[in-house]
Amino acid sequence: MSASTLNDSDLGRLGLETPISRIDRALKQLWEGDEAKTRASLINLAIYTEDSSLLASDNDLLDHVAAEHACRALLILALPDAQPPRARAWIQALCRPYQGKQAVCSEQISFVLEGGDAAQVQNIVFAHLDSDLPLVVWWQADLTQHFEERFYSRIDTLIIDSSRWSDPAKQFDALRAAMSAETADFDVRDLAWTRSHFMRTALASCFQDAAALQNLAKLQIIRITHLKSQRPAALLLAVWINQRLGVTLKLELIEKGSGPALQSLVLEGEGVRGEVRRDCDSSFIQVCTSCGQHEHKDLLPADVDSDAELVSEQLSRFHGSTLYSSMLPFVRSMLK
Amino acid sequence: MPELENPFQETLLSRHRAEPCTVVIFGATGDLTHRKLIPAIYNIAACGDLPPQFKVVGFARRDKTDEGFRTELEEGNRKNSRQGHNDELWKSYAQCIHYHRSEFEDLEGYKALGRLLDQFDVERGAPANRLFYLAAAPEAFKPILEMIRAAGLNKGVGDKWARVVCEKPFGKDLATARGLNAVVADTFAEKDTYRIDHYLGKETAQNIMVLRFANSIFEPNWNSRYIDHVQITCAENLGMEGGRGGYYDTAGALRDMVQNHLFQLLSLVAMEPPTDLSADSVRDEKVKVIRALRPLVGPEAVGKNVIRAQYTAGSVDGVSRVGYRQEDRVNPESKTEPFVALRLMIDTWRWQGVPFYIRVGKQLPKKATEISVHFKKPPQVPFATSNMLRNSENTLVIRIQPDEGIALRILCKQPGQAQNVQQVKMDFRYSSSFGKASPEAYERLLLDAMAGDATLFARRDEVESAWKFIDEIEHAWHKSDNPPMMHEYPAGSWGPKEADDLLRADGREWRLL
Repeated sequence: MSASTLNDSDLGRLGLETPISRIDRALKQLWEGDEAKTRASLINLAIYTEDSSLLASDNDLLDHVAAEHACRALLILALPDAQPPRARAWIQALCRPYQGKQAVCSEQISFVLEGGDAAQVQNIVFAHLDSDLPLVVWWQADLTQHFEERFYSRIDTLIIDSSRWSDPAKQFDALRAAMSAETADFDVRDLAWTRSHFMRTALASCFQDAAALQNLAKLQIIRITHLKSQRPAALLLAVWINQRLGVTLKLELIEKGSGPALQSLVLEGEGVRGEVRRDCDSSFIQVCTSCGQHEHKDLLPADVDSDAELVSEQLSRFHGSTLYSSMLPFVRSMLK
Repeated sequence: MPELENPFQETLLSRHRAEPCTVVIFGATGDLTHRKLIPAIYNIAACGDLPPQFKVVGFARRDKTDEGFRTELEEGNRKNSRQGHNDELWKSYAQCIHYHRSEFEDLEGYKALGRLLDQFDVERGAPANRLFYLAAAPEAFKPILEMIRAAGLNKGVGDKWARVVCEKPFGKDLATARGLNAVVADTFAEKDTYRIDHYLGKETAQNIMVLRFANSIFEPNWNSRYIDHVQITCAENLGMEGGRGGYYDTAGALRDMVQNHLFQLLSLVAMEPPTDLSADSVRDEKVKVIRALRPLVGPEAVGKNVIRAQYTAGSVDGVSRVGYRQEDRVNPESKTEPFVALRLMIDTWRWQGVPFYIRVGKQLPKKATEISVHFKKPPQVPFATSNMLRNSENTLVIRIQPDEGIALRILCKQPGQAQNVQQVKMDFRYSSSFGKASPEAYERLLLDAMAGDATLFARRDEVESAWKFIDEIEHAWHKSDNPPMMHEYPAGSWGPKEADDLLRADGREWRLL
C-alpha cells in the first residue's frame, strides 16, 4: 500500500498535527487551553491497521468507544511498504458533555507510520501510553511479522476480528502460536465470537423451556444462516454448541449476501426444535421453541451490531475466559 | 426426577440470569409499582437479563382488566424507564403482565391467584419459581402473609422456590419488627425472605466492600490507629412535598432513614472482612457492627449524643419553604424530627475511640449522600504551620448519590520557592469514567432476588438489632420524664447549631458538602 492513497480529508479529521517529539507538550497545552474540560482515562486503547481506507472509520470508532470508556486512544496506521520512511502524529480530545455543559474528554494520538518496521511500531506505542493503565490493542491487520513477541508480551487484551481475515486458517495458527508463547499473558477478544453473543444468550433462553430441555439428547442438526463474510462467527458458534452438548451435531451453514452477520440459528431433532431469528431491520430477536404440541415464543433484545459497539461491549467485560482458546483447535480443524 | 441443567446457560453466567419465574406484586396499583418496579423489570428485559417465560401478576383491590393495567403501567414506564421506552419491546413485555383483583384479607382471592400461577406453569410446561413482592402499605403485610400461607402459596411447586420481598419500613420499632418477622417466619424460611433496602442496590454502596477489601492500600489503615472519625451524611433539599407528610410525621428521620439505610452504610464501612462473598458471610459481619454499637440508654446519654431538630421557615435554592409543622399533613404540634445527628461509638478492637457521626435531614441546602473517612493527622509536619494544616487531614469521600464516586483529599506542596502546603483532591466519578449509566437499584435487587442472592438484603437479626438500638433513643425522646430538646433550624441551612456543637465538642467539624 502506498502513502499516496492517504486521503487529506481523513488526515484532517485526526486533529492537530504535532511533531512526535512534542506530543506530550501539545497534550498538556490541549488541556490547559480549556478549563471546562475534564480528562478521564481508564485504559490505553490502541488500534493498529495497515489499511489507509480504514483511517476515517477507525477515527470515528474511537470517538464512539471513548464516549463509554474513558481512555488514552492510539490510532496507528502503518504503511510498511511506503517510501520514503516518515512518521507523522496528530492529537485531539474526544469529548462528551457531562451534566449539561462540562465536557469529559479522552485524548487521542494518531500516527501514520510510512516505511519502518515492527520495532518502530512498538516504540511509538510504548512511548505514548498512559502509565499504569491496561493496554488493549485491536490488531486489525493480519498477524504478520509486526505482531511479534516483544509487542504482544506487553498487551493485556488483544482484540481481533477473525471475520476480517483473508486466510483464517493461517491467522488462527499465528494466533495460537502467540497465545502459547511463554511471555504472552493477554486475553483474546474475537469480535466474530462477540457477534454470536446474542445468539448464545437466546439459545440458552430457548432451552430454559422445560420440555425442550428434556429433549436435548434428540437434537441432530445445527443450521446457521450468516452473512457470507461471517463464516468464522458461524463456525465458532457451532463449535460452542457442540462443546456445550458434548456431541458433534451435523452442521449446515447457509450464506447470505446481505443482512445481519448472524441471521438465524436452528437446532433441530426428532420432535424438538429451537430457533433464534433476527430480522434485518429489528433490534430484537425472535426465540421459538417447539416440542411436540408445546410451543414457546419470546422476544429478546439483539446485541450490538457495529464494530464500535462490539469493541465497547468487549471493554465492559474485563474478565478473561479460557472458553475461546479451548474452541480454537476445533475451529481450525473445520477450516482445513 | 433431578433437575436438568441447561448446558447453554453455563458459559453465560456473567449475565446474572435467573430461572423462569413469576413475580406477584401486592399493592400493584401503588406509586412504587408504577415508578420503580415495572420500569425496573422493563429495563432488565431491555438488557436481555429477564428470565425466560417470565410473568408479573399485579395483585390489588381495584377492579381492572389485564389490558387496563398494562395501559396504566405503560404510561408510568414512559415517564420513568431509565433506558427510555421502546414500543416493540413493551408490546412483548406487556404480554407477561397480568392483573389479579382481590382484597388482601380474602382467602378465596389467594386461592384464585394460586390457580392462575398453576395455569402459567401449565403454559410453560413446567413449574416456575414464585416471588411475592410486598409493595403494599406496611399494615397490610401481616394479612397478606397469612393469606399466602393459608392458600399454600408459600411453598414452591416441586423443586421450585417461593420467596418474599418486603419493602421498608420493616416495623416501626423492635416489637412490631419482631411481630412482623414472626409472621414472615411462619410463612417463609429466612433464606427465602428478602428485606429490601434500595440503598444497598446503589453502585457506590456495593463498591464500599470492593474499595476496602480489593485494594491493599486502604485496609491496613482502616482502624482506630489511622482513622480519626467517620461522617455519614444524607441530606435532602426537599420537605414534605407530594403528601409525604402523612407518613413521615409518624416515622421521623431516625426511623425512616437511620434504622435502615444509614445503618446499612455504617455496617459496610465498619465491618470486618467476610470469609467469602456468600450472603450470610457478608451479613454475619454486618450485624456484628450493629450489635457492637455502644447503646445510648436514658435521656442523658441520648441528649449528649443525639440531636433532633425540626426546620422552621426558610428558603432552599432561593425558594421560600414553610416550617415542618406548617407542612401539608403534618401535625402542627408534631414531635417528629425531620433532622437527626448522632455520635456513635462501635465497641470493637478495630474502632475503639473512633466516633461515627451520622446526620440526616430534610430541607437542607442540597441533596447528597456521602460517607467521609477522616484520617488522623501525621504526628509532625516540619514544612507547614499548624494554621496551614487546619481541617486538612486526609479524607476519603465515598459519594453515594448523586454523582456517585470517590474522592481523596491529600496535601501537596504549592509550586514556588516557599514550602507552602495545600489541599488537593483526587476525584473519581462513575459517570465520567464509565460512560454507561449504572442500573437502577431496583433492577439489581430484583434480579438478585430472582437469582437467589440475598447479599444486598437485610437479614432478620440485622433488622432487629438496629431496632433495638433505635428504640432506646425513641424511648428517651417520647417516653422519658425529661426528654432531650427538639431543636430548630431554618430551612435551607445545614441543620441546627447544636448539631455543629456535637462535633465541635470533640474538636471536629461537619464536612462541607
